[in-house]
Amino acid sequence: MDIEKLKPHFPWITLLVLVLIVGVVNPVFFDPAGLVSLVADVVPLFIMALGMTFAIYIGGIDLSMQQMANMVTVIATVYLANFGIGVALIAILAGFIVGGISGYVTTRLYVPSFVSTLAMGFVALSIAKWLSGQRALHMDATLRNDSFGWMFGNTAGIPHELVIAGLLLFIAWFLQTRTTFGRSLKAVGAGELAAVASGLNVDRVKILAFAISGVFAAIAGLMFSVKLSGGDANLANGFLLLAIVAVLVGGTPLTGGVGGVINTLIGTLIVMVIRAAMVYLEIDATQQQMIFGIVLIAAIALTIDRSKLRGIVK
Amino acid sequence: MSATTSNLEAPAPSRINREVLVKWAPLLVLGVLLLLFPALEWLEDFREGKDHIYLLDSRFFSIRNAARIAIAAAPALMVAIGVTFIILMGSIDLSMEGTVSVCAVLFAFMFLALGGTLASWAWIAIPGALVVGAVMGFLNGLVHVKLQIPSFMASLAMGFVGTGFALLLTGGDRIRIEDELFRSLLTVRWLNFPIMVYVALAMLLLAWFIQSRTTLGRNFYAVGGGEELAKASGLNVSRVRIMGFTLAGVFFAMGALLAVGRIGIAETATGNNFMFVSITAVVVGGTALWGGIGGVWNTLIGVLIVNVINNGMVVIGLPNWIQDATLGLLVITAVVLSTDRKSVSFVK
Repeated sequence: MDIEKLKPHFPWITLLVLVLIVGVVNPVFFDPAGLVSLVADVVPLFIMALGMTFAIYIGGIDLSMQQMANMVTVIATVYLANFGIGVALIAILAGFIVGGISGYVTTRLYVPSFVSTLAMGFVALSIAKWLSGQRALHMDATLRNDSFGWMFGNTAGIPHELVIAGLLLFIAWFLQTRTTFGRSLKAVGAGELAAVASGLNVDRVKILAFAISGVFAAIAGLMFSVKLSGGDANLANGFLLLAIVAVLVGGTPLTGGVGGVINTLIGTLIVMVIRAAMVYLEIDATQQQMIFGIVLIAAIALTIDRSKLRGIVK
Repeated sequence: MSATTSNLEAPAPSRINREVLVKWAPLLVLGVLLLLFPALEWLEDFREGKDHIYLLDSRFFSIRNAARIAIAAAPALMVAIGVTFIILMGSIDLSMEGTVSVCAVLFAFMFLALGGTLASWAWIAIPGALVVGAVMGFLNGLVHVKLQIPSFMASLAMGFVGTGFALLLTGGDRIRIEDELFRSLLTVRWLNFPIMVYVALAMLLLAWFIQSRTTLGRNFYAVGGGEELAKASGLNVSRVRIMGFTLAGVFFAMGALLAVGRIGIAETATGNNFMFVSITAVVVGGTALWGGIGGVWNTLIGVLIVNVINNGMVVIGLPNWIQDATLGLLVITAVVLSTDRKSVSFVK
């Protein structure tokens, strides 16, 4: 048995093993209703991780997602009264533009993505602080339910969040596997110089990847603000680490090129199971960040393609 | 696009070429800022018809305000110096928020357990905190070098672990350090500046010594200038990297001590904001993200630029939400200006 051949199967095997362990120790875990609500809770994180997948897939990273989501919670809350459901469009547009600028700065101005996205994250933070007046804002309940009530609720026992997540996953999956753009993403992630040499417009592909990442961050932010019925400049804090963890444990390596959105689904579920296990083992919230940090290091170390590191990453 | 750039840069014979400009730009920017904020103040008072002599009547350009800027800059300078060594090697360290928090919290625990005043055995907490920083930096370097994880990700993850660990230690509580002797870092002033500013300057000189007068310092430049070359000439690059991260950890710990000395509180949030501010300061000071160029004096200029901007904006009455975006745009501009595009094929 070759370990390299097994590698792509690690994520779902890990998930299965974790589920079995948690299930055996705590059979209540398999209770369908509980399981459904557990999965529904993880949807905003999943959406963020989907976006992160695009940035990591091309070998970059998006450190602005958290602030982007924060900014969108504020935008959504402030403009809900004026635009109603149209606020979703504004949010998506804002995500696309800010993400696109990150992409432009990375590709055309040669600023490494961890710096450009970090910097654009702070621009987003500024916008959030400015729009919110640095206060926690609240949505008007009736307005919220009129425009976005459909986001939460059940149809035939299936939470609507899951439907939204499934739809977004399908879109991301379609983009990644069934379009020329998706192929280009893979080419850029697998070997950027080769992609340039074969005449691909690499810059455009990369800028789009960051813009898409921004859009998903914005959608996640919109869900946060509707779910929590408000917005402020710190609402989504703490999700950056989990989004990166979800992508990497799912098997998309930091070096890009392999993996993808389905992997991220598995990765998000792994994160969810670990969280559920920690709740059951009574490991309180203060310790979770440390554990996820260690999980992150382990996941990177296991998945990273070291043959690609030469001369690029220091 | 690349053709136009090379055309613009073509007139090489002139004295002011790109290299000289990049080298002196940070100092120039600092000078302009120092004159700009008083000018804006003057303009405002002039409009309102008040008497105002340029510079002399400035609230910004005063010793009191200089002390205020220096106090704010001192902890950030320590952290930024630490990460300077790493950036000189062409790597990056994003673990400072976690390391600073852990050092601050453990320092406070040790300090209180050993007597709670510098006049007792509690002084051991100071070297103790530096050792904690060194250990955290060492671990960070090990993860980066031994697991072959790119430094930005290794250190980011270690930073998360650090913040988590600090949270675990404190359980979210704040620990007060009320010892007058320790707080004299802030309260006792020599020539208008509190002691912590002199401590920071002493550490700056130490960092300068390490950078320019020790083998380790020269090795940082060697690794940053060209890793393959350094390896080929027999340098143990892995060792230099791990030592670099360890050294950075010590300076982060120093930053933690000054931060605790400044506000008298150690908590998980002590490390907040250090990451972006220090990276911005280093890059804005003119140390290239690609390694090999710059040094701790650049970092001093960079830290001053960042703090002068933050302070000046408050003095002239701009709302403080502008600061984050300004720093964000500043760091992008600085990286763009310091990048020689002809030598970079692509970035991730």
